[in-house]
Amino acid sequence: MKRLVTFFLLWSLCFGNHPQKVEGPNNPCADPILAYARKHGIKAIPIKDLIHYYRTAKKCSKAGGEEVIQQIRINEYERDFRRSKTMASWTSTYAVCVGMVMFYYFLGLFTASKPDNT
Amino acid sequence: MAGFDDNEDVNFPTKFKFFTQTLLWNVGTYYEFFSNARVGYNSFSSFAFGQLKDSFPTSAPVFYRTIKYRMFPLETFFRLKPNIELNFTLTPIWGRGKITLETKPASGSGGWTITDDWNVLFNSFDDDDPLDQVASDNNMKSDWIGYSGMIGIRYYFRPWMGLDFKAGFLNNGYNKEKWRFQGKRVMGPDLTIDDLPIFSLKLVYALR
Repeated sequence: MKRLVTFFLLWSLCFGNHPQKVEGPNNPCADPILAYARKHGIKAIPIKDLIHYYRTAKKCSKAGGEEVIQQIRINEYERDFRRSKTMASWTSTYAVCVGMVMFYYFLGLFTASKPDNT
Repeated sequence: MAGFDDNEDVNFPTKFKFFTQTLLWNVGTYYEFFSNARVGYNSFSSFAFGQLKDSFPTSAPVFYRTIKYRMFPLETFFRLKPNIELNFTLTPIWGRGKITLETKPASGSGGWTITDDWNVLFNSFDDDDPLDQVASDNNMKSDWIGYSGMIGIRYYFRPWMGLDFKAGFLNNGYNKEKWRFQGKRVMGPDLTIDDLPIFSLKLVYALR
């Protein structure tokens, strides 16, 4: 019995089938991560999936899907632009304050004279 | 930095002045809490180091100097175009200067000690109150507060990556008499850092 088990173990080690490689989708542009990026934006992709996204986007571009990748970028630019093209609430007041502080600072720097210590 | 560059008693390393004084390394992280505003932490650092052979022939200590401007900016912004942003920043500053001497105990027949090395350094900063002895901790520090204002423009060459250029000023409440060395007040170097113009260039990477 022991010999039989040893024989099968050796047999399977020597002649066992290699694990079959699972092939990815033939069309890299159909990868779900690109669909996710199109819908939510590239910035929304979790950090652990970012490398996968970049690789897939590169493969997709090489496979003729340059426009798909371009469209993802344009969508994200547009989404960000819509959110922040105008200043809302207190942010414009704050920006004016920053401008005034800078204006008076540089005005003082160039026009004010330092008191003589002697 | 007259306290280092024009020091008559100690020859501080000034060889790569542009990299050790003019250029500051800038690292920061921001959180966008509103569609037009973000808050964060930003640190501008300047480093210098070198061996002080000429002024300390017996021990030839290694000298390190760091100056850090730690900022807690509140920034508002809007997009002029989908890939161009204008931003406005005001921030308090917590500045810290640190000088370290890696010096050796007495050597040779002169009986020169670590305390003597530190006293030479303090005397070079016009401190006329010498120390009797020093402990093993070997750095002097100073903290100060200040504020800064900047206006910037950011160009996104990818939706998640951009170049940010800012221009503004740094106002620091530095006082050369407020350095600390092992719990004792000592004199530090003359630094003209109270009114500084600042230009900042950053590579920005965004995550959500």
